[in-house]
Amino acid sequence: MKIFFILFRKEVKELVTKQLVISIAAMLFIFQVIGKFTGEQSKASAARKSAVVVMDLDRSPLSGMVIAGLEKTGYKVTLAADGNAEEALFSPQYADESLFVTLPAGMQKALDCGKKPELGFFAKFKKTISGMGASMSAPRTGKIISRVNEELSDYAIKKKSPSADPAFLKEPITAVEYVAVGGAVAQVPVSQVLLFAQSQTYFFPIAVFFIVVLSAQMVMMAVASEKENKTLETLLSSPIDRRLLVVSKLSASAFIAAVLSGAYMLGMRSFMSGITGAAGSQTAVSARSAFEKLGLLITPQGYLLIGLSVLFCILCALSMAFILGVLAEDVKSIQGMITPLMMMLMLSYLLPMFIDLDLAPTGLKFLLYAIPFTHAFIAPQTVMSGNTAQVLWGIIYQAWVFALFVSIAGRLFSGEALLTLKLRFGRKKNVL
Amino acid sequence: MTAVNVSGLVKRYKKIEAVRGVTFSVTEGEIFALVGPNGVGKSTILKMLATILVPTAGSAEVFGLDTVADAAKVREIISYLPEEAGAYKNLTGHEYLDFMASVFLRDGEKAAAAVRYGAELCGLKDRLKDKIQTYSKGMTRKLLLSRAVMIKPRLAILDEPTSGMDIINGYEIRRTIKQLAAQGMTFIISSHNMLEIEFLSDRIGMINRGELLACDTPAALKERFATGNLEEVFVKLAESGA
Ligand SMILES: Nc1ncnc2c1ncn2[C@@H]1O[C@H](COP(=O)(O)OP(=O)(O)O)[C@@H](O)[C@H]1O
Ligand SMILES: [Mg+2]
Repeated sequence: MKIFFILFRKEVKELVTKQLVISIAAMLFIFQVIGKFTGEQSKASAARKSAVVVMDLDRSPLSGMVIAGLEKTGYKVTLAADGNAEEALFSPQYADESLFVTLPAGMQKALDCGKKPELGFFAKFKKTISGMGASMSAPRTGKIISRVNEELSDYAIKKKSPSADPAFLKEPITAVEYVAVGGAVAQVPVSQVLLFAQSQTYFFPIAVFFIVVLSAQMVMMAVASEKENKTLETLLSSPIDRRLLVVSKLSASAFIAAVLSGAYMLGMRSFMSGITGAAGSQTAVSARSAFEKLGLLITPQGYLLIGLSVLFCILCALSMAFILGVLAEDVKSIQGMITPLMMMLMLSYLLPMFIDLDLAPTGLKFLLYAIPFTHAFIAPQTVMSGNTAQVLWGIIYQAWVFALFVSIAGRLFSGEALLTLKLRFGRKKNVL
Repeated sequence: MTAVNVSGLVKRYKKIEAVRGVTFSVTEGEIFALVGPNGVGKSTILKMLATILVPTAGSAEVFGLDTVADAAKVREIISYLPEEAGAYKNLTGHEYLDFMASVFLRDGEKAAAAVRYGAELCGLKDRLKDKIQTYSKGMTRKLLLSRAVMIKPRLAILDEPTSGMDIINGYEIRRTIKQLAAQGMTFIISSHNMLEIEFLSDRIGMINRGELLACDTPAALKERFATGNLEEVFVKLAESGA
């Protein structure tokens, strides 16, 4: 046991290089900075949202009501001088404005005799249509259109029957939204449930993907560099149990990967909180009991299952990467060697996000379930949908794959294959 | 006592027969050298002795223990320095010696003593506190060599121990090997440098294309071919063999 810790410590020391520490610190820093900037920008564009330039060509009581109504609902209204719309759009005076509305002359009159007046809504961009501000402009335009519509329809209803209550007439029902999932029903807005579910299914797989790729690369590096430096030959000629060499390498990489993924999750969280602010999490809290009722909140047992699934996913990847590292000729060739592993990971990571696994053709389903990583990526959804048995079977399958690859690795280590086996991508010619 | 006994040793890689029926033996306390140009099978023979390659045919014994059947026991008494070996770059020289001592010696006290001896032997002094990646090639080689002998193996298998070293370092290493052999450690080394080997070794095995051409003391070999130069001996042997 003592020798295991000696080996483990050496592996960790070899793996934690300055470059690794620096690149992780850089990653955390970049997450932080991007999160902060995007957050500030979206806040700025949220503030900008309420500014609108109104060109009132009607100058009627109705247009006055529309403007008052906009102001009452939080818009900062600037009244533009008379003229045509395009003049106002490009006048330097409104250079910073991005939302313009024209109320045409005769608007009230048209409404009075039951005709639809034509109102212009302009979204202005500065040269490029990109960034947070630009992506907000469509919902912003939609919002002000419905706002103006409200004002006009209130007016039209009052005009037809002065005693009527426009608010009631326009929305005579009280809508109570329910969501039903896997046999449970709860009163909660659908949009909130979606948001919650997405936050779980997006960020979880990214983290898993990151850990797996990182630890796979590490173990490959560790084996390939021992091979390149011939330190492996020295260890193989020593009295040490060769299985210990395998185990210590795998566990050291898994350990570092776990620490790194913790750092990664921290970075991700500060990134996300930078973008969304605290608002997102607050709505989630208010709907918590509903989520609980729907079984969307993962129980401790559920977390245990997901954790196990992720653990075995990492172990599978490590054992495969280990074998690839053994077959690699030197450190340089591991970039090429890791490709098959990456392809499997990408498939099992991306496909379940875009397709419904239950409806997928049998062949594809079989392929995805055969890749042991898939079970970890879909574990949260599977647990949330209450299908514990499937998660368990997935874990058993992963454990089996892991055992298989470890025994292959052990066999490679017990013989001389380590020194004689070489896999080459782009085969070199043998010169005799 | 016989330290190494190799008989009819054959090693075939996928396509090449690298070693073709080599037979020789080494007595305890001897410095035995395998000499020959590059690619003739010297390293392959040493790897079989070091238990990391399995012979295709024939056998190799170290102090009476078979390198295949008793591999675990052989590993307890040997120490192998691979050709062009490196060390763990992110460890310091001291950490490296420490690690290797714990790998080879289970007894903590013995390991500590081995580290002290290795640290003294390599002569790196304060540089042992620096990471190995800052060492020159010669410094790394000295560290590795000290590592190989600090555990006091009964048989030290050194593949090209002085290759790539400057005159002074090469000289120091040869002197150390001689001293240790005088204390009873057996050495089997390889080299493609005939001059250095003439000075260092008690007996020489001349290898060409996987075969042992001759095996004797440097003096006897020179006498047999009536020349003062081992390189000439090799050329004559190679010609007559071809
Ligand atoms: N792992 C290997 N796979 C295939 N051929 C090898 C391998 N190692 C060595 N060889 C071949 O075996 C022959 C002997 O090599 P080696 O023992 O390294 O020679 P030397 O140490 O005398 O230079 C060479 O032709 C070499 O190319
Ligand atoms: Mg060699």
